[in-house]
Amino acid sequence: MIEEPYRWVEAIANRREYIETQLAPGSPIVALSYRDGILFVTVGRARQKLFEIYDRIALGAIGHPGDIERLRMAAIELASTEGFTRSAGDVSLRRLAFYSLSPVLKTAFEQVYGAPYLARMIFAEVGASPAGDLFLRVEYDGAIAAGGASADTQPPRFSVISGTTPSAELMEELLRRDHDSNCTLRAALKVALDAWSAGSMRAADDEVKEIPAHATLLKHRQEKLKSATVEACVLERSGASAIRYRSVADGELKELTAA
Amino acid sequence: MSDPLGAAAFDFPALLRRHGLLHEASLLPPVSASRPASTFTPTQATTILAFKFTGGVLVAGDRRATAGNTVVYDRADKVLEIDRHSIMAIAGVPATAWEMARVLEHSLQYFRRTQLQEMSVDGKVRALSKLLRDNFGFVLQGIGIVVPIFATYDFAGDGQARLYFYDAMGAQFEVAEYAATGSGSPAVRGVLFYENRWGKKRLQKLSEEDAVTVALRALDTAAEADTATGGVDRHAKIFPLIKIISRAGIKTLPEEQIAARFKRTVA
Repeated sequence: MIEEPYRWVEAIANRREYIETQLAPGSPIVALSYRDGILFVTVGRARQKLFEIYDRIALGAIGHPGDIERLRMAAIELASTEGFTRSAGDVSLRRLAFYSLSPVLKTAFEQVYGAPYLARMIFAEVGASPAGDLFLRVEYDGAIAAGGASADTQPPRFSVISGTTPSAELMEELLRRDHDSNCTLRAALKVALDAWSAGSMRAADDEVKEIPAHATLLKHRQEKLKSATVEACVLERSGASAIRYRSVADGELKELTAA
Repeated sequence: MSDPLGAAAFDFPALLRRHGLLHEASLLPPVSASRPASTFTPTQATTILAFKFTGGVLVAGDRRATAGNTVVYDRADKVLEIDRHSIMAIAGVPATAWEMARVLEHSLQYFRRTQLQEMSVDGKVRALSKLLRDNFGFVLQGIGIVVPIFATYDFAGDGQARLYFYDAMGAQFEVAEYAATGSGSPAVRGVLFYENRWGKKRLQKLSEEDAVTVALRALDTAAEADTATGGVDRHAKIFPLIKIISRAGIKTLPEEQIAARFKRTVA
């Protein structure tokens, strides 16, 4: 069936469509720089979606839990062996994503007889300042985008993934308008939750073309949070320990979101 | 992308072995009568001690590394941080011990990252025991003995400090009050036993300042008779390394603070 090139292209297109359909209901994930680090935020039901990969690298992923798990394990294995045999300073997100994960994802995607990875991931590595932070979005076909989906002259200090492209674009529009990378953790969490709400509304309703008003976003969020919870983690910019990953506990989240 | 199923996949040393990055010393041929042990003298490090006091656990080590009669290094670091609340202090061959500490540190992190939870205290204690066991081939060949102390805080359990020492084969011994290993340890144990039994206060009741004094006196006493223990070098102003584990984490005492305490209560 796929001996002819045309059939192969068709098979790939079908598979892309299938994966996009599978990923579409995924809850958006926001990662952004703030003064003292990088914040990851999402809203979910039970399954953990934000993970520690190495000292200064974190991952957020949507997709099939089994595939996310395989990719997460691979990333941790690669980073840990590199950090052990050389040094923690030699572990780099850029190399991990471009030279290790991307080729594997591409191969799995294009081998039409095998199963592709149903996962869309967002990685971040914290730097010495917001300008040194790195965000990489890694797609199921191995494509990697730094920062936002749309081209910017200045690399944005945030990155998002969502189930659908229009949803991600609306989130980016909101972050471009409202986010300041030198803000506090409290301010970062506020804008991240707004971005999540906008993305969630856009994914659910095709009529939401513009960024909704703040009150509308808040109402949508409160509605969603009746049956889901906020999940957040940070990569701290400085600290006594080399390990900068920290998940934000429920108590701290409550305190940070209190007006 | 290996198959992550199977318990060993979550074990960091097993992962390293799969990639050919870690070898079990016990796989090396043992020394036999027809092939006598080499005359190579490995570098050794001694003496370490640890005891519980009011502020948590104090872990201290002198700074000397020797090879036979030669002093190799006088600023060796034998008190190593493994995670936010665990310290491994080493007596024995530093080449093996530092590698062991690196493997242990990465093992605990690897476990936390992959399993999304902290390893239990018993798991940590067992992980070090296994590393010692794997190293036993080197011990038999006379070139890789390591006799560590492991101190940590049990958050998941009773919230208490836990203190262990090991033998070279990997048996762990939990102690209630104090532990000491290395060539100077007989003297250190004598001092700690004396202080605990007949001192003004039991070790567990000591303040941080008094605990530092006891640690410095014990290491100075050990250095008096044991040339492999550095104790306190008064001329070069080299002081033992002292770290304290409390609920809040690990604190390394600044050298000036140790020097000031030494001047006031030991010198």
